[in-house]
Amino acid sequence: MRQRSLIAITAALSAGALTLTACGSRDSGGDKGSDSGGTTVTIGVDAPLTGDLSALGLGIKNSVDLAAKTANKQKTVDGVTFKIVAKDDQAQPSAGQQNATALVADKTVLGVVGPLNSSVAESMQKVFDDAKLVEVSPANTNPALTQGTDWATTKKRPYTSYFRTATTDAIQGPFAAQYVFNDAKKKKVFVIDDKKTYGAGLAGTFTEEFKKLGGTVVGTEHINPDSKDFSAVATKVKNSGAEAVYYGGEYPQAGPLSKQIKAAGAKIPLIGGDGIYADDFIKLAGATATGDLATSVGAPVEELDSAKEFVANYKAAGYKEAYGAYGGYAYDSAWSIIEAVKKVVDDNGGKLPDDARAKITAATQNVSFDGVTGKVSFDEFGDATNKQLTVYAVENGAWKAVKSGTYSG
Amino acid sequence: MNELPQQLVNGLLLGSMYGLVAIGYTMVYGIVQLINFAHGEIFMTGAFGALTVYAYILPDGTSMAIALPLMLVGAVLVSVTVAVGAERFAYRPLRNAPRLAPLITAIGLSLALQQAVWAWYPEAKSARTFPEIPGGPFKLGDVTIQTGDIFLLIAAPISMAVLAYFVMKTRTGRGMQATAQDPDTAKLMGVNTDRIIVIAFALGAAFAAIGAVAYGLKYGQIDFRMGFILGLKAFTAAVLGGIGNIYGAMIGGVVLGIAETLATAYIADIPGMDKFGSQSWADVWAFVLLILVLLFRPQGLLGERVADRA
Amino acid sequence: MSGVGPIEPGEGTHAWDTHPAEPPAGTPAPPRTPPARLRRLLSDHRRAALAALTTVGLLAACALLYVTRPQEREPAIPEPPFPAQVVDVTYVGEHTVPPGTRPHTLAFEVLLSVDSGPPVTVTRVSQPYAGVSLTSAPRAPFRTKAGSARKIVVTMHVAECGKVPENAGLPFIDVTLRNKRAIQVQSFILGPRYAHDLSRALQVACSNDST
Repeated sequence: MRQRSLIAITAALSAGALTLTACGSRDSGGDKGSDSGGTTVTIGVDAPLTGDLSALGLGIKNSVDLAAKTANKQKTVDGVTFKIVAKDDQAQPSAGQQNATALVADKTVLGVVGPLNSSVAESMQKVFDDAKLVEVSPANTNPALTQGTDWATTKKRPYTSYFRTATTDAIQGPFAAQYVFNDAKKKKVFVIDDKKTYGAGLAGTFTEEFKKLGGTVVGTEHINPDSKDFSAVATKVKNSGAEAVYYGGEYPQAGPLSKQIKAAGAKIPLIGGDGIYADDFIKLAGATATGDLATSVGAPVEELDSAKEFVANYKAAGYKEAYGAYGGYAYDSAWSIIEAVKKVVDDNGGKLPDDARAKITAATQNVSFDGVTGKVSFDEFGDATNKQLTVYAVENGAWKAVKSGTYSG
Repeated sequence: MNELPQQLVNGLLLGSMYGLVAIGYTMVYGIVQLINFAHGEIFMTGAFGALTVYAYILPDGTSMAIALPLMLVGAVLVSVTVAVGAERFAYRPLRNAPRLAPLITAIGLSLALQQAVWAWYPEAKSARTFPEIPGGPFKLGDVTIQTGDIFLLIAAPISMAVLAYFVMKTRTGRGMQATAQDPDTAKLMGVNTDRIIVIAFALGAAFAAIGAVAYGLKYGQIDFRMGFILGLKAFTAAVLGGIGNIYGAMIGGVVLGIAETLATAYIADIPGMDKFGSQSWADVWAFVLLILVLLFRPQGLLGERVADRA
Repeated sequence: MSGVGPIEPGEGTHAWDTHPAEPPAGTPAPPRTPPARLRRLLSDHRRAALAALTTVGLLAACALLYVTRPQEREPAIPEPPFPAQVVDVTYVGEHTVPPGTRPHTLAFEVLLSVDSGPPVTVTRVSQPYAGVSLTSAPRAPFRTKAGSARKIVVTMHVAECGKVPENAGLPFIDVTLRNKRAIQVQSFILGPRYAHDLSRALQVACSNDST
C-alpha cells in the first residue's frame, strides 16, 4: 500500500516534470525545416532565461534566433544552415561556466552569443578561449573583460576570443556622472551598488568622475541583491541629504529600491545604468519612478534607421517576449558570428575548414557590417568601435530618451 | 534629525513579517519535529492566491476596502490548501520513514512549488505587481509609516493574540500542546493526533498567508522566489526565539528584523567598521547574533529545555 | 542550506513508527466525512484516479499557459533617421589662441563629418560646465553636406575658475544638429586626449590669473 502510493506519487511527479519540459520547450525548437542540406552551424546562446533577469535574457535569445533564421532565409552563407542552442545561466557564474563547457563540447557550435552579466562572462571567458571558440556578448559592460583588470592604467586584452557589441562602463559611468552634475545639476549623491561585477564597477566609474567634477558623495551603501527590504537603506538615504541616488545594479533590485527611497520621504531621482533600463523597472518602481534616470548603451534601437527592419522582423516572427534593452545588440552579435562564418567558408572553397573555431575567431576580429545598432566592428581589445549611449528618463510610465552621446576617443 | 525611531520601526515591520512566517515553522516543528522547508513557498503561494483574487476574480477597480478582506481569504485558502495537501501527500506517507526523508521531501517540494508557479502562473516569470492601499504616508514625529505597513502593524499583533487564545484556551489548542509534549500519551488520552497535525500545518499556512499579503502590500510586488530567502530568515527567527514556542517565533522575528536594520544603519558609523556596515553585511550580523544567542541559550530566547520534551 | 535541525532522533524524539497511517476507525467527526470519502475513493482506484487527476491538471495548466501567453506589445513605430547617426565629431588637437584675446581663453580643433543622408546643419555648439562659455568658428548655424568634413575651432572662455572641474575624465561638447527629419542635441565625448588637453588648458588658464 505504502509502496504503491509512493510509486504513484513518483510517477505523477515525473509525468509533471516531463510535461513541464515539453511545455517550456515548445518555442525553443527553432526551425529545422531548412532543406538546403549542407552543413549545420550552431550558434550557442547563454543568458538568464529564468529568474529575475529573464526579461532581458529571453530578448537576447529571441534576437539571436531571429538572426539565424534571417541568415537561413537569405542564404547568407551558401551551404550552411544556422541553428541556435540556448542555455540558461540564471545569472549565476557557476551555471554560466557549466554552459560554456557544454557548448564547447558540442562540436557544431562555432560561436556563442552571451552572456548578459559581466560576472557570468568572467567565468566563461577562459573556457571559450581554451577552445578557441568565439564569444560575442551583447550586454557585458565591465571594462576589465576586454581591457584587463588594470584597464584604468594599462590596457591588456586577456582573451582574444571574447568580443562585445555593448559599450563599457568606463564610458557609461562617467557619462552618467556628467549628466547628473552638469545637466540635472545635482551636486550631492548617495551611491549604492549590489557588489556584483557589473554593479560595483559601474558605481566605481560613476563615483570617480562625479568627484572629479566637484560633486560630493554623501554616502555609500551595498545592498544584498536577494533582499527586497531596503527600508533601512532608504532611511539612510533620506537622512543623508542627497539630491540623487546612483545605483549600480539591475532592475529587480533597483525598482523596489527606488520605490522605498521615495516612500521614505526622499523625493530624489534614482539613476542607474543599462541594467535598470527595462520596462520592468518602471513596473516595480511604481508611480513614483517618474524622473528616475538610466544610461544605456547605444542609441535607442527604435531611433536607428537600421533598426526598422529588425523591429518589423522581430514583430513578424511573433516572439512572446519583447526584444528588450539588448535585442539589437544580440542580433548584431549573432550576425558578426554569421559574417565570420561566411568569410571562413568563402576562403575555404565553400566548406568549413577543420579548425573552423580558431579561424572564425580570427575572422570575427575583422568583421565590419551595417547592423541593427549601426556600424559593427571591433577594436584591438574586442570592444565595439561604435560607442553610443543615451540617457533615458521615466516619463508617464515609460522610458524616454533625454540625451544621447557618441564616444569618439 | 534622529534616525533611530524610523530605523526601529523599519526593523519592527520587517521582523513582524518574519514572525508571521516563523510561526508556521515553529508549530510544525513543535508537533512533528519536521522542519518544513517548503513553508517559504507556502507563503509565496499565499501571495499569489491574493493576487489571483485581485487580478482575476474581482472586477477591475474594486476598492481596497472590499478587496483586501477577500484577498486575505484567497491567500489563506490557497496557502492552507497547499500546506494540507503537502502534509497529506508528501509528509504523511513518510511519517514512519527516517528523519532525513521528510526533510529532503520538503526541500524538493519547495523547489517544485517555486517552479510550478514560475511555469504556470500567468506572467510570473518576473515579478508581478501587487495592489497597494492608496493614501499618503502617516507621520508620527520623526517616523514615517506607509499605508501598506499599517496592515502589518495591525495584523501581526491580532494574529498573535488569536493564536495565543486558540492554543491556550480551546480544546483543540490544548490537544496541540499535548501532542507537542508527548504524541503517544496524547493519543492514548484520546487526542486525534492526525487531525492535530493537519491543523498545525493549516494554522501555520494561514499565518504565512497573512504575512504574504502584508509582504505584497509593503513592497508592491511578489515573485516566485520571494519565499526562499524570507523562509530562511523566518526559520532563523524561529530558532532564535526557540523553535517550538509560538511567542518565541514572533519575538525571534522582531529581534532578527531589528538586528538587521540596525546593523545596516549603524555598524558603518563605528570607526574602522565602515567596510562591514552595508546592507549586504546585515545578514552576517544577524547570524552573529543568532550564534551568540545560541551559545548562551541553546534552546533559543524563549525555548524550553529539550529534556522537557521527553 | 543552513540550520537543518536534528537529523537523527535525539533525546526524547524518535521516529513515529507507532502511528498507523489511517486514523483509528470509528471516530465519527462530522467535518471529516468528505476527506474520508475522498480517501476511500483514492484508495480504491488510486492509480487510475491519480493518473487522471495528473493528466487533467497538466492539460489544464498547459491550456492556461497557452491561453495566457503575453501578447507581444506593439513596438514603437521606427522614427526617421536621426542626424546624430550620420554625424561624427572627432578631436583634432589644441588650437593656438591668437594673441590679444582675453585671458582665460582656450581653443581646440575638432573635425565634424557627415556620412550620408541629407545635409546637416549645426545650430549650436556648447559645453556643459557652468563657469565656461563657448564660441565656435565657423559660427553656428552652418551646413555640412554628406560625404564632407569640416574643421571647427572651438574657443572657450573661463569666467569663473571655481566652477570648473579641472580633471574630468570624460568631458564632451554638446552639438545641436538639424536635418530634414529632426533636431537633436548630441553629446560628443572626444576621448582621453581631449580630456587631457582640456584639463591641462583649464589648469593653465586658472592658475595664471595675471595673463
